[in-house]
Amino acid sequence: MHRAFITGLGFVTSIGNDPVSVERSLRELRHGFELYPPFQKPDSPCKVVGTVKEFNTDSADCEDWTWPARYPIKRETLRTLSPHGLFAHCAMLQAIADARLDPADVSNLRTGLNAASGGSPFLTHHHHERMQKMGVMRCSPFGIVSSIVGTLNFNLVAAFRIQGSSCGFSSACASSAHALGFAFDDIALGRQDRMFVVGAEDGNADAILPFAGMRTLSLQSDPALASRPFDAARDGFVGTGGACVLVVESGDEVARRGAVPYCEVLGWAQASDGYNVAISHPDGSGLRVAMAGALKRAGVAPEEVDYVNAHATSTLIGDVSEARALRSVFPAAATRPAVSSTKALTGHGLSLAGAMECGFCALAMRSGFTPGSAHISRVDPECEGIHIPRQTIPTAPAVTMKNSSGFGGANVVLLLGKA
Amino acid sequence: MPEAVQPSPGASSPFVALAKPFTPEDEAALREALKRCSPSTFEAAVQFRKTGNPEHVPAVVIGVIERYVEPDLRTKLKDADDDLRLIDDLGIDSLTMMEIVILVEDVLQMTINNDELRSLRTVGDVKTFIDCKIRGLPLPKPTKFLPIEHIGAVMPMQPPFLFLNEASVSSTGANGKYKITGQEFFLQGHFKDNPVMPASIMLEALGQLAVLYLLEGAVAEPGKAVGANTIFFTGCEGVRAHRMCKPGDILTLSVKPKRMKMPLATFEGAIRVGQEKAVIVEEITLTYAFVEAVNPVTAEPASAAPAAARSGATAQSSPPLRVAANA
Repeated sequence: MHRAFITGLGFVTSIGNDPVSVERSLRELRHGFELYPPFQKPDSPCKVVGTVKEFNTDSADCEDWTWPARYPIKRETLRTLSPHGLFAHCAMLQAIADARLDPADVSNLRTGLNAASGGSPFLTHHHHERMQKMGVMRCSPFGIVSSIVGTLNFNLVAAFRIQGSSCGFSSACASSAHALGFAFDDIALGRQDRMFVVGAEDGNADAILPFAGMRTLSLQSDPALASRPFDAARDGFVGTGGACVLVVESGDEVARRGAVPYCEVLGWAQASDGYNVAISHPDGSGLRVAMAGALKRAGVAPEEVDYVNAHATSTLIGDVSEARALRSVFPAAATRPAVSSTKALTGHGLSLAGAMECGFCALAMRSGFTPGSAHISRVDPECEGIHIPRQTIPTAPAVTMKNSSGFGGANVVLLLGKA
Repeated sequence: MPEAVQPSPGASSPFVALAKPFTPEDEAALREALKRCSPSTFEAAVQFRKTGNPEHVPAVVIGVIERYVEPDLRTKLKDADDDLRLIDDLGIDSLTMMEIVILVEDVLQMTINNDELRSLRTVGDVKTFIDCKIRGLPLPKPTKFLPIEHIGAVMPMQPPFLFLNEASVSSTGANGKYKITGQEFFLQGHFKDNPVMPASIMLEALGQLAVLYLLEGAVAEPGKAVGANTIFFTGCEGVRAHRMCKPGDILTLSVKPKRMKMPLATFEGAIRVGQEKAVIVEEITLTYAFVEAVNPVTAEPASAAPAAARSGATAQSSPPLRVAANA
């Protein structure tokens, strides 16, 4: 079995568009929420979004979009992108530079790409409307590749000339955690030497607002109070978009290139609740099995885990079931790990969440801090007995656990170790 | 770029009957559709939609193509001849072609089929194609790209007296290239220690291109073909040489038929080197005759792609545009 290391990061997130600003936001618990203009209407009960700054993708016409000038993108590439495709393209450029990969490292038979997004409901809507109005033969030739689930991998694989394996992952909010888990397997089994793992979401009205119908969105209009996982007064999640790219490389490649890893990926596991299409199991049964499985596969004892970056999205049911699963996997109160949810700062990135939060953990492990859980004034009594630091701890965890759960009760748990 | 032509005052539309009047809403939609095109493109489109006058079409088509060409390649389009190739010269791929078609369809209110699209290789092909569609004329034969092997096989002239390296022939004319190598036998004496391409040979090269047009592009009577051995020079008028041409220069030749009536065919012709005028001929006239059509020189119809595949030539013949079908 080969070892796998995270050697490069690219961020386009509500709390920063590069590792330095993301680290500052995490350390100082600065959130990325704003009153989102498209939500400030009487018929929209929810008001707050974790907004992506420096980008404007409000128009369905990609030639109206604006993005930081440091990312040169030709029209030929832009025309098939969704908003989250643009975010991810920029995050790829960032991660490639961060990992110091040269073009030959990116494009070869031993380098692949796993990507996850929910597609672009915004562009799907736009293109379907055009089809209805103008007729089938006047549809944009890019309608499909820019909007369906999979748009991320189609575009990035083509734009970056990826020649190894490529796949899209679709397990809702566990998607990009799956993408990292299977990337780990590809490297561990020697199928690939290097994998790009990409999570991204549009994070606009079409992507977020439909969750209002499920009554899962926070209706808080105060950006500093809307997302507060584990707090007794939480009332739902806050949506966010953006992109995160992780460069994962085999130990041999790390040695050959002299790369400085952020952390090692120690292993992962998954298990499903088999319970409800949208509601997590009240006892977090699938998540518990996945946590135990990941520890076993990585050969890590529960007491060795210093930090858990929770899935906790600030919903009423989800946070409690995760708390129950955590208590069951870490029964000894004295050695329980610190648990925080960085979604208190970013909001819930859906398909982006797993990769983005693994990126946060990787950053914390190399830079030497453990992010606290923000916006808690009173911990939900149901979540008692868990060590939830409210402030950032200035030391790095040696072993980090990252939980992710998606619709249908898909649970993915990844373990990261100090490199 | 062609300027928008003003409709003659007072003329009620003498063109294809317009399906419906052009409303302010139509104009607003047109403005939105063409918002990334030049103002003259929009103006031409408005004039076309108001009058149905096909003379406005080239400006619209060129304006739409320009909008989809990468900015650094747009200068090529500014002073382009009709032989400018969509793929090789403008970097337009099949998906971009779809974008162009959809916008043209939208703006000119017409429908273009996939199979019609495949034969369009040059800016001239596109302009002619759309013009025929608008006027309701039969669609022209697509431009044929002829590599040297094909030219050698059909022409009565042969090396060392063949002055075409490559050529393309459409129903509206022919274009060709010839590179002056310096090895041409006559340059040894023309002139002493100063090789200059003789103007008479440049005229000959244009004549040869006209011969190629007669053999490959002209429409003969059914069952007949222009006989290669029936074509001869009869006269020329208005010949002006503007530039000395020397070894290393690449001559870009073009001829267009002005009048064709058996047994005489009259062409206008021009030679350029890069963007510089070298020779202009107002009229060059050939005689020709039809013969019974026999098996063509090549086994297959002289479409460029198979010919290129056989000869291994790739530079001068591009594959037809194909619609992406990798879903």
